[in-house]
Amino acid sequence: MSSLDTIIRELRRAAARARAARYAVHGLVAAAAWVTLVLLIARLTPFERRATVAVVGIPVALAVAALAWLLRRPSAAILMRLADIRLGLKERLSTAWERRTESGTLDDAQRRDALQHAARTRLAAAFPVRVNRGEASLVAVLAIFALALALLPNPMDQVLAQRQADRTSQARAAKAVQDAQKKITDSAKPTPVDPQVQKILHDAQAKIRQADSPRQALESITPAEQQLQRLTDPGTPALNSSAQNLANALSGTAAGNSAAQAISTSPAKGAQSVRDLASQLQNMSPKDREELAKALAKASQQAQNSQMRDSLSKASSSLQNGDASSAAEALNDVASQLDSLQQQQNTDQAVASAINGLESARQELAAQADRDAKGQGGQPNAGASASPGAGTSAGAGASPGASGSGNGTGSGTGTGTGTGTGTGTGTGTGSGSGNGSGGTGGTGSNGSGTGSGSGAKSTERVYVPGQPVPGQSDNDPTPLGLGQDVPLSPYSQVIQAYQQAALDATDQSLIPGSERDLVRQYFSQLGEQTGPGPK
Amino acid sequence: MIAEEPRVDGTQVTELAQSLEAELARLIVGQKELLRDTVIALIAGGHVLLEGVPGLGKTVLVRSLGQALTMSFSRIQFTPDLMPADIVGTNVIGDEAGRREFHYQAGPIFANLVLADEINRATPKTQSALLEAMQERTVTVGTQTRPLPNPFFVLATQNPIELEGTYPLPEAQLDRFFFKVLVPFPGEQDLLEIARRTTGESTPQLKPVADAATVLHAQRVAREVPIAEHVLGYAARLITATHPDRTQLDGVKRYVRWGASPRGMQTLILAGKVRALLEGRYNVAFDDLSAVATPALRHRIFLQFEAEADGIAADKIISDILERTPKEPGRE
Repeated sequence: MSSLDTIIRELRRAAARARAARYAVHGLVAAAAWVTLVLLIARLTPFERRATVAVVGIPVALAVAALAWLLRRPSAAILMRLADIRLGLKERLSTAWERRTESGTLDDAQRRDALQHAARTRLAAAFPVRVNRGEASLVAVLAIFALALALLPNPMDQVLAQRQADRTSQARAAKAVQDAQKKITDSAKPTPVDPQVQKILHDAQAKIRQADSPRQALESITPAEQQLQRLTDPGTPALNSSAQNLANALSGTAAGNSAAQAISTSPAKGAQSVRDLASQLQNMSPKDREELAKALAKASQQAQNSQMRDSLSKASSSLQNGDASSAAEALNDVASQLDSLQQQQNTDQAVASAINGLESARQELAAQADRDAKGQGGQPNAGASASPGAGTSAGAGASPGASGSGNGTGSGTGTGTGTGTGTGTGTGTGSGSGNGSGGTGGTGSNGSGTGSGSGAKSTERVYVPGQPVPGQSDNDPTPLGLGQDVPLSPYSQVIQAYQQAALDATDQSLIPGSERDLVRQYFSQLGEQTGPGPK
Repeated sequence: MIAEEPRVDGTQVTELAQSLEAELARLIVGQKELLRDTVIALIAGGHVLLEGVPGLGKTVLVRSLGQALTMSFSRIQFTPDLMPADIVGTNVIGDEAGRREFHYQAGPIFANLVLADEINRATPKTQSALLEAMQERTVTVGTQTRPLPNPFFVLATQNPIELEGTYPLPEAQLDRFFFKVLVPFPGEQDLLEIARRTTGESTPQLKPVADAATVLHAQRVAREVPIAEHVLGYAARLITATHPDRTQLDGVKRYVRWGASPRGMQTLILAGKVRALLEGRYNVAFDDLSAVATPALRHRIFLQFEAEADGIAADKIISDILERTPKEPGRE
């Protein structure tokens, strides 16, 4: 006859087996329910790491079940009670176990009776290894359901792909801004506004990266561009024009010819040359002085910058009065203003470079936002694709007797059909270039920049916006100017392309309908005012 | 010389009960539950209230019990004019060595087995005299208290259908009875057997199977039967479930006015112990408690008028309680 300890060991083993089977099924139910739940949620809301989360839940559920199996082991008393009930032992075992240390009058007899009955019974039958059919069926149903959820197309996949594309697009846009930052940092001509430009670009880059969507990222670009625009000096064109007029005026004099060429090359060189001229005034012949005074007077009359006009006027009058020292002082003032012009041009160039970076980012984000709006956000490079193209040009052109300098910015967009547009602004001579490439073979055409200059010699053909190029019909190709590496196009030739590009752009859903109408109205009014001629 | 205490042996009790049941069964046809409950109450040392219509053998049962046990037996027929002194005895004047003096004349209650026939016909005063004796096992007459013989076992009967001229036992007095046993009408086969046994030339004569000492010994042994804590807990849950303010059972809340007393739990456990012995076991099982719950609790659960109106008896309430009170522990 076995002892109570033997009985309890046997019951423990049997109970552990039975509970292991039961908890394993519990764990499977939990795992299947978890996977099903995750897959179900993934169909209702975008869930990027659903597969990982679902798979991780399986061992976790089984581990929890194993932990519960380990921690919720029944005590010996409970095992005895259960065995009594399930084996019909009429509480013999539980009473014997509970009173195993008692020595009452009938306790011995009771223990003997319990052991006798236990010996005649197969104790393991109290805890049969049995799988609950309901739970097993539930596992099967959940598994089938989960499999179906995993295999059937998930509408949220497109949303996830779109999000991924959005993030990639934002990263590319931020990279474009970062490149512009680096370009400014590496620039050989540092300007006082560089730190501010860097900060604006840095902030814009951060906002682009942190934005929830390309559309939201786009909202951060225009404010940044406006901030950059505020860094430029609005008086620069007038001063630049005055400098060009001075160069043109001086180019007709023997003494000031070299200074004219230097001014046309760059304001900084011009400033040095003007200082040299001022120092040579004492040694000039009266004829040269008179010629120089006339040229300065002419430049003074044409100068749009008041300070420059005053200095030139003073220099001219001083020369005519024979006061060389006052004239030299006035020319030195002119040289200082040319230095200032050089500084402003450098600043404008830095700002233009930064704006180009932002424009590149804008193109990238706008294209992605448009794909999102069309429901193609998750299919990058499918269908129409756009690639940003931007070009900047800064140049100074000089030709004998005339000089011009200017800068321009150009940007271009390319589409899958291989079309592109570029815009450029500038004064003096300059060129803008733009290029774009479509994701699937589309390439954008070069953009163009426009510039204006003055003081052309008789042999020089200077393009002035709104005026036909002398000696050239509207349809003739524009010749290259000094410092230009791309052909210039008359306004009348490009306005159609501009209008088309603008109208194409308005078709994008990114632009509100009211704004589209505004753009259309603008170009139609433009056509009414200018008529067929160039503007 | 000190008398040696009889060796405690559960099997003797089992054999006593079995032989007693077998002997009674020779005269009492069917009524196995009645016999079993009566034997349990006897060995537990409690009194029994038998309720049944006339002619079902209640008196025969008690008389047979007296024959099967070598113990003194008396029968008291309760009537409205029965006085307490007619039960407990009285002091009477008599000559004692030429002197006239009072001496005590013992009543019929001074017996091991007392049949209180139709107890509800006596006045409450007389009933209480008997019930006091049942509880205290002593009788006080005048200034002298006298112990009743041991064992002292009262079987009272009452007729449930005649209400006129009866005095129903108050609740507090009902609680003094260990069991209230309903005597059912016998089945057709049992009726035939009764006719065969009692209408022939002779009726069976019972042999004595035990004496007072044996019964007392059995009573002591029964109290030694171990009971596990969780079984004890089950008994407590059963008793608690009879109280409308402590149960979740709608039937109890609705129909029960007052639940079983702690004495009811004592009865339940003691009866369970005896039943375990009678079943050849040395421990109390849930089944033992369930088996004795109805006779032990039916007269201790007091119902609302609504229960009577809806035809709900205490047995139904007890049945619901047994069905819905969990035996198994709360967790695996």
